[in-house]
Amino acid sequence: MTFHPRERRIAGGIDRRAFLRQSAFTAAAVAAGPSLLAACAGDDAAGGGGQAVPLSRPDNPVTLPTFDDIPMIADGLEPESGPLKIFNYAEYIAPQTLRGFRRQYGVDVDVTTFTSMDEAIARLSGGQAPFDLFFPTTDVIAKAALGRLLQPLNASYLGNSGNVWTQLQDPFYDVGAQYTRPYSLFTTGIGYRVDRVTQTPDEYDNPYDILWDPAYSGDLYLLEDDREVLGMAMLRAGEVDVNTEDAALVDAALADIQALDDAVNPRIGVEAYTILPEGRATIHQAWSGDVVNAQYYLPEGESIENVGFWYPAEGGGMIGSDQMSVLVGAANPVLAHLFIDYLLDVDNAHTNFEWLGYQPPQTSIEPASVVADGLVPAHLDTTVIRPEDFDNGYQLLQLSLAGERLWDNAWSTFSAGA
Amino acid sequence: MGQRVVDVQRRRLKPRDRTRALWPGLALPGVAWLLAFFVVPFYGVLAVAFGGLDPIFGNAVPAWNPLEWDTTVFGDVLDRVVNAELREVYLRTFVYVGVALFLCFLIGYPVAYYVSRFGGRRRGLLLGLILAPFWINYLMRMLAWINLLQEDGYVNDILTGLHVTSSPVNWLEGRAVTVVFGLVYGYIPFFVLPLFAALDRIDRSVIEASRDLGMGPLRTFLRVTLPLSKQGMLAAAVITALPMMGDYYTADLLSGSPRTSMIGNQIEFFLFEGSQKNAGASLVVILSILLMAAMAYYLVQTDRATRELHRS
Amino acid sequence: MTRLRTWWSNPWRRPAFLATGYWLYVIWSLVPVLIAVQFAFNSGRSRSTWQGFSLRWWFEDPDRSLWHDPSLREAMLNSLWLAFFTMLIATPLGVALALGLARWRGRTARASNLLMLIPLAMPEIVMGTMLFLVFDNLYTAIPLGRPAMLLGHVTFSVSYVVILVRGRLLTIGPDLEDAAQDLGASPIAAIRTVLLPLLGPAIFASLMIVFATSIDDFVISAFLSADASSQTIPIKIYSTVRVAPTPALNALATVMLLFTLLAVGLAVLALRVFRRGEKGSAVEDFATLDL
Repeated sequence: MTFHPRERRIAGGIDRRAFLRQSAFTAAAVAAGPSLLAACAGDDAAGGGGQAVPLSRPDNPVTLPTFDDIPMIADGLEPESGPLKIFNYAEYIAPQTLRGFRRQYGVDVDVTTFTSMDEAIARLSGGQAPFDLFFPTTDVIAKAALGRLLQPLNASYLGNSGNVWTQLQDPFYDVGAQYTRPYSLFTTGIGYRVDRVTQTPDEYDNPYDILWDPAYSGDLYLLEDDREVLGMAMLRAGEVDVNTEDAALVDAALADIQALDDAVNPRIGVEAYTILPEGRATIHQAWSGDVVNAQYYLPEGESIENVGFWYPAEGGGMIGSDQMSVLVGAANPVLAHLFIDYLLDVDNAHTNFEWLGYQPPQTSIEPASVVADGLVPAHLDTTVIRPEDFDNGYQLLQLSLAGERLWDNAWSTFSAGA
Repeated sequence: MGQRVVDVQRRRLKPRDRTRALWPGLALPGVAWLLAFFVVPFYGVLAVAFGGLDPIFGNAVPAWNPLEWDTTVFGDVLDRVVNAELREVYLRTFVYVGVALFLCFLIGYPVAYYVSRFGGRRRGLLLGLILAPFWINYLMRMLAWINLLQEDGYVNDILTGLHVTSSPVNWLEGRAVTVVFGLVYGYIPFFVLPLFAALDRIDRSVIEASRDLGMGPLRTFLRVTLPLSKQGMLAAAVITALPMMGDYYTADLLSGSPRTSMIGNQIEFFLFEGSQKNAGASLVVILSILLMAAMAYYLVQTDRATRELHRS
Repeated sequence: MTRLRTWWSNPWRRPAFLATGYWLYVIWSLVPVLIAVQFAFNSGRSRSTWQGFSLRWWFEDPDRSLWHDPSLREAMLNSLWLAFFTMLIATPLGVALALGLARWRGRTARASNLLMLIPLAMPEIVMGTMLFLVFDNLYTAIPLGRPAMLLGHVTFSVSYVVILVRGRLLTIGPDLEDAAQDLGASPIAAIRTVLLPLLGPAIFASLMIVFATSIDDFVISAFLSADASSQTIPIKIYSTVRVAPTPALNALATVMLLFTLLAVGLAVLALRVFRRGEKGSAVEDFATLDL
C-alpha cells in the first residue's frame, strides 16, 4: 500500500497547507512510452472465490466492469436539495471552492475525512458510508469498482471533462472514463537545501546518487512509503518497471536501499514541507506538492530560495494523480456529478490549485503561467507537471496481493534495520 | 425467645450460603467485560493471524474455526523472525529493553529505597513527586525531551558550555542512545512504584536487627534488604519490561531511523501500512507468546515466594 | 576528619547521598516538563530557543493558537469525554470485581484473577491490535472512533481499579464486615453500609487514576480512532510533533497537564477528608498496590 500525500498513520490533523504530501499512486499516464510494465492480469492468490482484480497498466488498459444492478443516473435530472456529502482526505479541497459551490447551487456541503485510503476502503466496504462523492487514488479504483462501491458516471453532466489533459480523458486505468475524473497531480523527486548541498542532484552522473552520498549522513530523509522508496531505487538502477512482481528485481532494489542505509543512515518521514524549510535535513525525497507548500512553512528569516527540487526534466520519474468518483447508493448523485464538473471548470480548478498546491491536470494551467502567477517561485518550476511528464513518467499502480506481499516484506526488512 | 435465637442463627447461616453466590455475582460484570473485550479480541488476533485475505480489497478474513486455520503466513513470519530479516529487530528490541531495565534499576532502586526508608514525615510529598510523572502525559514528557535534545536545545547548550562536546550533537538523528534514554525516561515511573510498594512492606525491625547485630549499612543492604526486595524487583521488571517490548512511538519520536526500530514498529507497519493484516497479527501472536512466557515465569516465582512466606 | 568518620559511621544519620540522588531524580524527571510548559509561552515558533514571553499560542495567533484551532479544541473535548465516561464505567465494574475476587475462592476465582492481571502487563500495542481487529471484524456494529475507544479505555482501566481497591481491602480486613453480619445485616447491606464507605478513599483514588490514565492513553486510542474527529490530545500531539510542531502543541499539553493535576489534587484533598485520623498519608493510597 502506498501512501497518499495526505496520509498519516495516525489521524493527523494536517494543517491547511499540508496536503501536498503524498502522491497517491494514481498514475494518470496513458504513457505509451518506453514502458516495460508487464501486463499482470490479477493473479491474486488468497482463497475465497471471486474474480481477481484487474491490474491496469499503461500498455494494458482495463475496462472496468459495470453491473446491471448499478446503473448510472438518468440524463437531465434536477439537482437534489443536498447536503452533498464528500468523503475525502482532510483539507484537500479549498474552502473557497466549497463556498462557491454552495452559493451556486444553494446546497450545503459536508466533508467527512479519512486519513488513509485503506481506512476509506475499509469503511466503504463495510457499508457504513452514506457519502456521495469519493476521492480515490488510482490504485484502488479497480478494487472499488469490482467491489461494487462506485457507480458509473453520466458524462452528460460533466461537460468540463474536456478541460483535462487528453491523456487523462480516456485513461488506461479506467477505459472510457466510466467511473472517474482526475483531480490532482504530483511527482516524486528530491527536495534539497540549496544552501547546504555541495552539488545539486543535476551535477551528479546519476542524480539519484545524491541520496547515497555519505556526505549527507544523518541529514537525509526518505519517504515513508515502500513503493516510493524501492521504486526510486529501481529507477536509479535503470529498471523502469516500478510495478514489478519479480522477486529478483525487488531484492536488488532492497539491496540498493540497504546500501543507502549503510552509507547515509536515513530517517523516514513524510514532512518534507516543514523539514526542508526548517532545515532539519539537507535532503529529503519529496513530492512536488510538499516543496510547493514549503514556502508557507518558512521560519522567520528563511527564504524559499534555499529550497530546491529535482525531478528528471527529460522524463522518467515517478508521477501520480488522484481521482473523483461517485459512490453507489449516493443520496445526491446529481449534485455529486455537478461538483465534479464544478472542479473541472477552468477558473474553479485554478482557485483550488492556489489554495491546495496540488496541480490539477487542466490544459489551461501551464508551467510558465504557474510561475508567472506567483504560485511557485521560478527556481521551483521543477515542481510543475507537464503533460509530457505523464507520457515519460512511471506510475505506481496496483499490484496483486502476492506482489504487495513481496514489496511489504522488502520494506519490512529495510525498516527493521537489517 | 427460642424462636428469636433460631431466627438469628438461621440468619447467621443463610448469609454464608448467600455469600457464596454473592462474590462471584459481584465479579461477574467485570469478568464478562474482560471476556468480551479481552479474551475474545485475543482470540480474534489468532483468527486473523491464521486467516486469509479478501481477494478484492485485501481485508483480513478471520478464521474463527480452528479447523480452518491456515498457518502459511504465520509460518512465513515465524521463519523471518527466527532465521531471517526480523531476527535483528527482535534482538535489538531485547537489547534496548534489557539496557533500559538495567538503567531503570540503577536509577530507580535508590529512589524507591530512599522514600520508603527515609521518607519520614514528608513521605507523602516525596511519594507525590515521584508519582507525578504518572499524571503527565507520556507524549508530553517525550515532547519535552525532543525540544531539549534539538541541536539548538538546552542539552546541547549545556554540553558545549561544559566542553563535554565541542559542537552541538544531533541527538535526534537516529541514535540508539537517544531511544534507550527515552525508554528509560518514559517507563521508569512504572518501575519505581511497585518497587516502592515492595520495599515499603519490608519490616523495619528486620533491618534494625541486622544493624544491631553489627552489620554495616552496605552489608545490611546487600544481605537483608536486597534479597527481601527480590519479589518487588521482579514485579517492577515485569510491569516495566513487558510494555516496553511493544513500544514503537518512542523510537518514532526520538529517532525515525530504521536502525533503531523495534518490534512494535514492524507490527504497526504490517497492520496499518502494509497490506497483510494477517502478517501483523502473526507478529503480535509471536510477541505475545514471548511475553506470556515471561509472565508465567513471574507468576511461578510469586507463587513460590508466597508459599515460602506461608510456610515460615 | 574524625567528624567525617563519625558522620559516616552513624547508623541513624540522614542519608545524604540517597537524598541527593532522590532530588536529582526528581529534577531530571520533572524539570523537562516545566521547560515544555515554559515554551508554551514562547513568542516565536521555536520550541527550543526562548524568544520572549507571549500568549500568542494560547489566544492571539489567528490560525494556530489553541483557542482558534478547532482541531486542538476537538482533541481536548474528545480526551475529556473519554476520560469522564471511562471513569464512570470502569470504576463500578472494577470495584465490584475487586470485591468479588477478594472473597471468591476456587479455581475459577484464580483464573479470573489472572485474567484481570494480564492487561496490566500487556504491551499496549498488543491490546490495541486485539481491540482494533475485533472491532474491525467481529463487533462491527460498534464503529471505530469514540465508541470503540471508550470500550477500549474501560478494558484496560478495570485492572487498575481492582488492584487499588484490593490493596485497601486487605488493609481493612474482613472483621468489620463479619461484625456487621453478626449484627444482622445481610451481606449486601454489610457491603453497602460498612465496606463501601471504608473503601471510599480507594474508590476515589481509582476514579482519579482511571481519569488520568484515560487522558494519557495513546496507543489504544490511536489504534481505535476513526478519523480526525475522534483524535485525542495525545494523538494530536504525536501526529503534529512530526509535522509542523509549534508551541501551540506545548500549550495543548499544558492544558492536559492542568486537567490531570486538578483531578489528582481533588483526589488527594478528598482522600485527606475521608481518611481523617488514619495513619499514613493520602498519597500512599495511590501506592498501595497489591499485585
